[in-house]
Formats: sequence, structure tokens, C-alpha cells
Amino acid sequence: MAEPLADLLSLLGIGVVALLAWAALAPFEALGWWAGWFGSNIHTDDLSIDLPDAQAPEAVDSYLVFLSGIAQVGGESLSRRERAFLDRLDERLPQTIVIDDIFPYSVNNLPLTGQPFFARLWGWALRRKLSDNWLERLGGYLINLRNIWQVAISIDHRYGPIYNQAMARVIAHGLARKGYDPEQPAPVFVMGYSGAGQIAVGAAPYLRELIGGPVYVILLGGICGSDPGLLAVDRVYYLYGEKDTAQRLTPILLPGRWPLMWYSDWNRARRRGRIVFRSLGPMTHAGGTGYMTASQHLDDGRTYQAATIEAIEEVVAENVPHSHWEGL
Amino acid sequence: MSEFSTVFLAIPGSETLLPGFAELIRRALALDSSVYRLVAGVGNGLGVALLVVLLAGLSEGVGQSIVLFINHITPRRFVLSLLLSAVTHAVGYLFWAASIWLVGMRLFGRGEEFAVVARAVGLAYAPQLFGFFVLTPYLGSLFSLIIGVWTLLATVVAVHAGLGLTIWQAVACSGVGWLLVQIARRTLGRPLLAFERWAENRAAGVPLRWTVADLRRIRLPADWRSLVRRNRPGEKDDG
Repeated sequence: MAEPLADLLSLLGIGVVALLAWAALAPFEALGWWAGWFGSNIHTDDLSIDLPDAQAPEAVDSYLVFLSGIAQVGGESLSRRERAFLDRLDERLPQTIVIDDIFPYSVNNLPLTGQPFFARLWGWALRRKLSDNWLERLGGYLINLRNIWQVAISIDHRYGPIYNQAMARVIAHGLARKGYDPEQPAPVFVMGYSGAGQIAVGAAPYLRELIGGPVYVILLGGICGSDPGLLAVDRVYYLYGEKDTAQRLTPILLPGRWPLMWYSDWNRARRRGRIVFRSLGPMTHAGGTGYMTASQHLDDGRTYQAATIEAIEEVVAENVPHSHWEGL
Repeated sequence: MSEFSTVFLAIPGSETLLPGFAELIRRALALDSSVYRLVAGVGNGLGVALLVVLLAGLSEGVGQSIVLFINHITPRRFVLSLLLSAVTHAVGYLFWAASIWLVGMRLFGRGEEFAVVARAVGLAYAPQLFGFFVLTPYLGSLFSLIIGVWTLLATVVAVHAGLGLTIWQAVACSGVGWLLVQIARRTLGRPLLAFERWAENRAAGVPLRWTVADLRRIRLPADWRSLVRRNRPGEKDDG
């Protein structure tokens, strides 16, 4: 009886050590990129280059960059629910160009399935993720874990400035692809969903420097550390669901978010009113009762999806110069 | 010794039986004083100790390699710098062992040979084999603290076993030894440290002028306008 237990414990121990070793090696991607080992290219092979020449430039008054949660494998692999949500958001914000093809867990926008050494592994994990069998789907969580390491890299003060600068460049590149004019910098909203909240907060100050225009962060059920970016961007909107336990409980693991750490960037940003908290309703973190679902309704009859989109519209309307709206 | 001989593996070419390397490390990590006493007492113990120190140096080198990347080192120079860090680790180890040996002799009147102390103290570097875990995002400083405290405890056990001191004498001996190393670094050791820095820069092939603290103000060159220009339709994008 004792032997199988010992074996199980050894296996568990090996598993934990393997996980930690994987985590320890994770920063090499960002570090190697910074040192120039992988070139400075930003991956855009299959992405659309879409300068809004046909659109009158004055019709565009802002840009919104959506960064997806940690389940993503590449810039163009959004879930059906996310796709529907973003299409609807795009319709509701006709003067805002919505950019949703950025992969926030890679320093050069390279999707996991295009990585030089591990493409096959990620392809395998992606197939598991899409499987109907719950046991097989466990394999898909490798992707989530891998992306969690990238979020941790963005939080870490040693790697954060490297990773976040890389992400700011990827986002700026995305803006350029969609015709952003640095001569007349329009407001940019960087919206991080779930773990991408940290990436949004981390990258935003560098993005602000790059484009020379206002940058606002929208955290949608967002998880972020006590990042200096909270104090450096124009404003952070913290949109959350009452039943979203992930965004409520994760800060326990992040000492900078504890009230006790009164001088942390998070607490200072809070005191200065830089973080605006808005409850959206009884949404959970993800899935069929999450922010993007269209099959659940609030008491007032709006779908969860509609309520979330309305909250985002409000943030945009509050920050885009009034003259733009008057001219419509 | 006979109590161990039945389960221990012989290291080829040695007259005295030592456990296999993995077993030695396991017991050194568990702060088992008998393994420190064993390694201190055998002739080939110094080879084992030096191997532990060199591997620990490599691992620590990887753990501290962020500074190399920050300064845009090439892959070849990266490997060279890691090898150098293993060597400097070994030099530091010799000084560390020597100061403990001196303190043991002068303050506690111990008559052990230098090699005996060096073997035990070298084995105490075992926790630093995990030095590369310092790279772990977010948890790096926690791991650094754990490895530091663990090494400290291992050193005390090694001094206790190697010099036959009581635990508190071993704590005092290590503490005074540490002070001695710090004084030496700031006085007689200065030219040696300068040489080490010179060698590090030579191995890196680039001046190591930036540290982690500088990262926040370093910006990669970014020409926003060229970014836009390159993305005009019909032109191949190259970032």
C-alpha cells in the first residue's frame, strides 16, 4: 500500500520539478528576442494589411486593440464566442477600428503553431483542446500553462520591461497595419481579457511613448500585477463580473495587490483614482455565463454580451474628444 | 565506513568507496552530516567537490544570465560566459574554503588539512545546482532566497562535519570566514575582482554596461514612421 503511494508522490514531485523547469526556461524566448537572437521581425504573414483609404479618415476617431485570454494559440484563433462578441463590438463602434489579430503571448506575434521547434507540440495541444473528450482536453491546458508563464514574465520586474516593450511594438505594428496616423494620434484603447490584462497594463506605457497619443487600458475580467504601467497610462478601466472569481482571487497571489502594500503601484494608482472600477453584472470569468455570452440575460433583459459591449462603448465615449462625436 | 560499503557505488579509479554522484547530492541537499564527513575524509572527495562547485557555477551562471541578454550577447559568447562563470565560481570557492580553514585553525585550534575542509565546503555548494531556477518568472527572488539559505545551512553542516566543530562553533567559524572574504574582496582582492570583470567583458564580447535596474529606461530603436511606411499595401513587410 505504501509503495504505490510513494511512487505516486515521486511522480507528483517529478511533475512539479518539470513544470518549474519549464517555467524557468520560459523567459529565454523574450531574452533571446531582446538580444537579437531571433531577428527583429514581427510576424504578420497571414494578417490583413488594411489601410482605411476608402474610409474618410475623419470617420475614424479611435482604435481598440483586443488581447485575448491565456487559452489562445495565435492571433487569429479566437473562440466562436469571442469572434461573435468582437464582430458585435465592431458594429457598435463604427468610428473605432477594432484590432483583434494580435497574439499577446509572443514577443513577435508568432502563433504557437508557427514556432520553430515546438510547432508540432502546440498543434497537438490545440487538437486536444478542441476534442469532445474531457480527458483529451486536459492536453490542451498545456497551452494555458505556457501562456501563464508569459503573463508571469510580463509581471516580473526583470523581464517585464523587455516583454512589455516587445508587446508594445507588436501592438504599434497592428495599429500601423490598420492605418494609424502618428501625425494625428487618435486615442488607443488596449483591452486585455483575463490574463491579457497584465499584458495590456504592461505594454500600454511603452505604446504611449511609441505613438505619442493617449492610451487607455480596459481590463475585462482582467488579471494584472502591480505594474508601473498602472500609473503611466491615461486611465485604467477595471470591468468585472460579480461572479468572476478568477479576477477576484488571483490578486491573493500577487503581493503588490494586497492592501497592506500601501506604496505599491497598484495601491498608488487606486488612491489617485487612476483605476476606474465598474461592475457589469453577475458574469463569471469565461464560458457560457461569462462576459461575452449572448445566451444569458440580465434582469433588465440585456444579454451579458450586450451589457459588456455597452460598458466598453461608455469608456470609449468618455475618452474620445467630444468634437469627433459632434461631427457625426 | 563499512556500514555504507554494501550500498555505495565505487567511483572508478578510486580506492575509497563513495556513493554515486546523485546519491551524494541527494544526501548533501538533505544536510546529512555523515555524507560531508565521508567526502571530507577521502582522497577523491576533492574531485567530487570541484565537480559540484563547477556545475553549481554553471547553474548559477544561467540563473544570472539576464544581464548577458540585456547587453545583447551572441549565442556563442553566451556559452563562453557561462563557462567563465563556472571557473570564477571555483576560484571564489577556493577563497571561501581557505578562509574557513584559516579561521578553524586560528580561532578554534583545529589541525585539519586544507583539503579536508575544501572537500566538505565544496559539497555544500549542492543547493546552488538549482541556481537556474532563479530565472523562473515571478518566483525568481523567492527561489534565490531559498537557495541562499539552503547553501548557508549546508555550509554550516559541512564545517561542523569537516572540522569536527559543534554546530554553534561551525556557525561562528562560517560567519567569521564570510567576514574575512568580504574584507579581502575590498582590499587585497581588488585586482583579482578587476581581472574577473575584465574577463567577463572579454568573454561576453560586448561591454556589460547595463543591469536589470537600467532596463526600464532602455528603449529599442523604434521608427514609428518607417513602421507605417513598410505597411503600405503591396510592400513586403519586414517589421
